[in-house]
Amino acid sequence: MFVEPVYSSLITLLIIVVACAELCDAVTVVDVYRLVQYDLGGVPLGSRLAALSHHAGSSLYLSSAGAAADLSRTVLILPVRELNLTFIRDYIGQRKPLGGLLLLLPPVFSPQHSDSGGGADQDSAKDLVKEVLIEVERLLIHANIPYPVYFGFEDEAVHAMLGDVKKNDITGQPATATTGGQSEPGHPSPSDQRPPLGNFNNYASKVQQSPLDSLLCVRLSDEPIAFGYQRWALIGRRCGPWLRRRAAKSYKLVVAAPEPRKVASPAIINIQGWLPGLKADGDSNQLPTIAIVASYDTFGAAPALSVGSDSNGSGVVALLEIARLFSILYSNPKTRGRYNLLFVLTSGGPYNYNGTHKWLRSMDQRLRETIDYAICLNSIGSSSNELWLHVSKPPENAYIKQIFEGFSTVSEELGLKVGLKHKKINISNPRESQMLSFICLALRTGYVPICMVWEHEQFSLRVTAATLSELSVAPDFLESTGGLSDNRNFINEASISRSVKLVAESLARHIYGQQGKSIDIFADHSSLSINPSYIRSWVEFLSTTPRVAPFLSKNDPLIVALKKELADHTVEVNVQQELLDGMFTFYDSTSGRLHIYQVASVTFDLILLLVLASYLIVLFSFLVILTRVISMLADYVFEQGLDDLISLFRRPSSRKVKTA
Amino acid sequence: MTMFHFLNCAILTFGPHAVYYSATPLSEYDTLGTSIKAAVVYLVTALVKLVCLATFLKVSESDSFDPYQELLKALIGFVDVAGLYFALTQLTHRNISQNHKFQAVGLGWAFADSVLHRLAPLWVGARGLEFTWDFVLQGLEANANLVLCLSLAALGSLIWLRKNKPKTLIPIIYACAGIVATMPSITSYLKRGLGWHFPKVVGFELFTSLVMAFISWQLFTACQRPSN
Repeated sequence: MFVEPVYSSLITLLIIVVACAELCDAVTVVDVYRLVQYDLGGVPLGSRLAALSHHAGSSLYLSSAGAAADLSRTVLILPVRELNLTFIRDYIGQRKPLGGLLLLLPPVFSPQHSDSGGGADQDSAKDLVKEVLIEVERLLIHANIPYPVYFGFEDEAVHAMLGDVKKNDITGQPATATTGGQSEPGHPSPSDQRPPLGNFNNYASKVQQSPLDSLLCVRLSDEPIAFGYQRWALIGRRCGPWLRRRAAKSYKLVVAAPEPRKVASPAIINIQGWLPGLKADGDSNQLPTIAIVASYDTFGAAPALSVGSDSNGSGVVALLEIARLFSILYSNPKTRGRYNLLFVLTSGGPYNYNGTHKWLRSMDQRLRETIDYAICLNSIGSSSNELWLHVSKPPENAYIKQIFEGFSTVSEELGLKVGLKHKKINISNPRESQMLSFICLALRTGYVPICMVWEHEQFSLRVTAATLSELSVAPDFLESTGGLSDNRNFINEASISRSVKLVAESLARHIYGQQGKSIDIFADHSSLSINPSYIRSWVEFLSTTPRVAPFLSKNDPLIVALKKELADHTVEVNVQQELLDGMFTFYDSTSGRLHIYQVASVTFDLILLLVLASYLIVLFSFLVILTRVISMLADYVFEQGLDDLISLFRRPSSRKVKTA
Repeated sequence: MTMFHFLNCAILTFGPHAVYYSATPLSEYDTLGTSIKAAVVYLVTALVKLVCLATFLKVSESDSFDPYQELLKALIGFVDVAGLYFALTQLTHRNISQNHKFQAVGLGWAFADSVLHRLAPLWVGARGLEFTWDFVLQGLEANANLVLCLSLAALGSLIWLRKNKPKTLIPIIYACAGIVATMPSITSYLKRGLGWHFPKVVGFELFTSLVMAFISWQLFTACQRPSN
């Protein structure tokens, strides 16, 4: 027929339209970020799996079911706000089996969230959670976890789900295969646990608090359809508790992620900008060089969330602002200093400053010998008034004294306090120092801090190198490298501005030979003033860009942006690409989408099948009676007449009449 | 909820049709051909309705109740009635009694309606992991629809096929037929205009279908009595 093709296309359209209309709100989808997975010297660390497909459970399940709880098919959902540190330490330390772990972070830790600035108690709550988070991060990074671990942010959908899961867990119903979802073939489920009677009585009595509700079979409320099971359970009051247990809503969490693969050639990309000084005519010697170094990459428990606003976003922003100020000064030959300036953005910071080491090694010998003085910037963004200058040469050294005096004078003017900290390194060869730090790593068992390094230690001892930081001790390996709690809401832009002024001013006084004189080169409201909007825009950019080095390629927008910015401020920019040290291997699949499905148990489906079968049987018998039997009667009446039918029923009495 | 739930909902949606066919004398008289013809007529009617809707109706973005649009939809819904008339009167049926004719036509009509409107969402939606009550409610709606189609077919056969009807009953017959024919508009008004939730609407449909079935049954038997 001619109508066939038109008809089939219309039907397809109908199907598509109907399908689209029906499927909109089927499932909740949440963005989640996976725990880092990496190998350190062959030792696997972090979360080793990415795909997740298990039922949801909460911490209340453990407390209600006790030590016999089998969680190997459950995903534990733990909000960090209510996290019990000892519990998680035991769980991970003893390597107990778990289907998966989902840690929920308060929204303030999201890179997209901008803090509206609550009151003092909100701040203290924030700090408390931050402490817990740092501890949890440290635990997770250094453990080998054979199940997927994901981080997500709290929102209404997740809250609602967690509330339901907690309700289920209070009544002691385990969310395993037969009672809480599909049964998977080949996996015999553990025996159904009977809930302790005490909990049941509590739950049952809670329901009976509203007798009117229990009497009414259908409650015309505004609850959405998915909660309709509560009404049906009330209908079957005799088997109410049993039915409620069987039909309880449970959730299945699914993250469809491919098998994580190794990152093929993790690159370390160093970006250096060269600002040449003013060479006097007739001077054949090379000008001395001052290097300003900051590492820009981060490492944290969730690589997709490691934005490292303070470590070391603040250092990068400070470096860029200093570069901008000095480029203004150096653009005019009259104000160009007699020092070359080298601005270096290094990568591989968390991995014992691998990038700095490689950069120094590959640098031109003559250039390397001209470096007089290097200052490294590390974490200068928090709101404390105290900064530390860390050096490896002893404080009695003339150069160190000079530098520190320069810093002190400027800091006094700014109202900051700068202290000097000396940390000896025993090895004169920086390569050996790196080997020692890796050996220290291998001994890492009880998180006892054995070795700590600063970036300036990578420079040879001939160079006067120092690190300016707000931290008073060197951070542990893979600590303070831009983890989960290090984001925009925890740094202070004014501090960065102050630190910039400190470094720029002391450097400028050193370059132009103005030490000791009271002169404000980068005065406010001058053409050389620190630009807060520049700092703010870079802080915002860096606070929304995760920067874990193995996942950055040479064409990554971040690298391109940094290169372009340095090119704006300096004369010559070089990008150096090296491979990350072989001791580190990283795996991809750093984020995913979590699908939350409400599932009904298999027993529920069986009950439904039973109900339907009985309904159809009843319908069948009803129709048989109605149509055949009554039609027989009707035909009988049609043939015999209505009176005869009545006489059929009246026969006993009519007989009596007749006989009477 | 995978295939199990899909099977459950399919049984609920299409089972009663099969049960009706086998329980009543329809199966004895082998009226399957009639039912199939009625189903085909329904499909053609649906096509015509689709074309009319596409031509005359505006696509409204909001889900509110627009009386003018609903009136148009109700008018187009009368194409349904025309299709039913065609199925009842014009198709050549084998020699089956009027009683069974309307049942067979109604059954075929309802079955085609269920397949067209409910099979696709069921196949696509009920097989997923997420559990909703939507498909069970849809099955109940299909049951109500079956009863309504049978009542409409009964009233239709009374109107068009039975020539000697008691005069007093004629207006009642037409009124009931009108109500049953405009059921879709009434339910859409309830859903959109009054904002009833799906379970409430399904309950209302079930209730009214049973009431209308009872009324049409009474009318049918009342019209059968004059031949006494």
